[in-house]
Amino acid sequence: MSLVARHLEANGIPTVIMGAAKDIVEHCGVPRFLFSDFPLGNSAGRPHDPESQAQTLELALRVLETAPAARTTVQSPLRWRDNAAWKLDYNNLAKLTPEDLAERRKEFDVVKAVIKTKQADV
Amino acid sequence: MTMTPAADHDVPIPYMQRTRDYYQALGFAPYRWAHFVDVPFTSLAKPLAESRVALITTAAPYQPGVGDQGPGAKYNAAAKFYKVYSDSTETVPDLRISHVGYDRAHTTADDPRTWFPLAALQEAVKAGRIGALTPRFHGAPTNRSQRVTTETDIPELLRRCREDGAEVAVLVPS
Repeated sequence: MSLVARHLEANGIPTVIMGAAKDIVEHCGVPRFLFSDFPLGNSAGRPHDPESQAQTLELALRVLETAPAARTTVQSPLRWRDNAAWKLDYNNLAKLTPEDLAERRKEFDVVKAVIKTKQADV
Repeated sequence: MTMTPAADHDVPIPYMQRTRDYYQALGFAPYRWAHFVDVPFTSLAKPLAESRVALITTAAPYQPGVGDQGPGAKYNAAAKFYKVYSDSTETVPDLRISHVGYDRAHTTADDPRTWFPLAALQEAVKAGRIGALTPRFHGAPTNRSQRVTTETDIPELLRRCREDGAEVAVLVPS
């Protein structure tokens, strides 16, 4: 998505990305970025919380309007949980057993095979 | 507001480092993320209240017959899509994210508004916060090489945004 933002922007369409993977978006380099420090999958606010969703969009619109230069990141003040322990879990090797890893490797092989088949169909 | 110091791990998740370590442990080649020094920047030509806004998502339209795409579904590669798609912004379509690596331990993807803010944007139009939405939103494929993304998908997204008269764009990766 970061590549899309860059291309639109280079062609005269101002953009804002609403996202949750701060390092990946900033590593690419984008014009404007509203970062929500939430689990991946919640770029637009907390589930079943219309107020947080409206606030998140409003912040993104303000970033769109007011960013002074490229690479503007604003972090939403909203918190996912008071306790930040959830951040220790995602793909964290320190928390995976060798059995978990073997299981995930198997799943990956299935995923790769499915993608290969589908891409061949396109 | 409290001024209590935060835990050391209470920082944005270092996804690149986690993924590098994880791929290495699984025996896969390291992934190289897109990385640039120069970043383009275009100022807004007019106030948002007078601007037509495009919405771009990585979510996938629900496809019957390709397995579980519902809340909490396992990663479902069969639900991926490989071409840019567009649909009306007049309704709220049935979009899912079972085809991407969202955080399945801490979110179940049971509220599409958390990854697809079309309803919130429709409210913003009603409130006069933005001028209008473009007639269509657009879906960006997520699973190809950066080369295919750059050479095929991105020019197509720009073409569709222009065709719709988009003046600014809100992009929401899921």
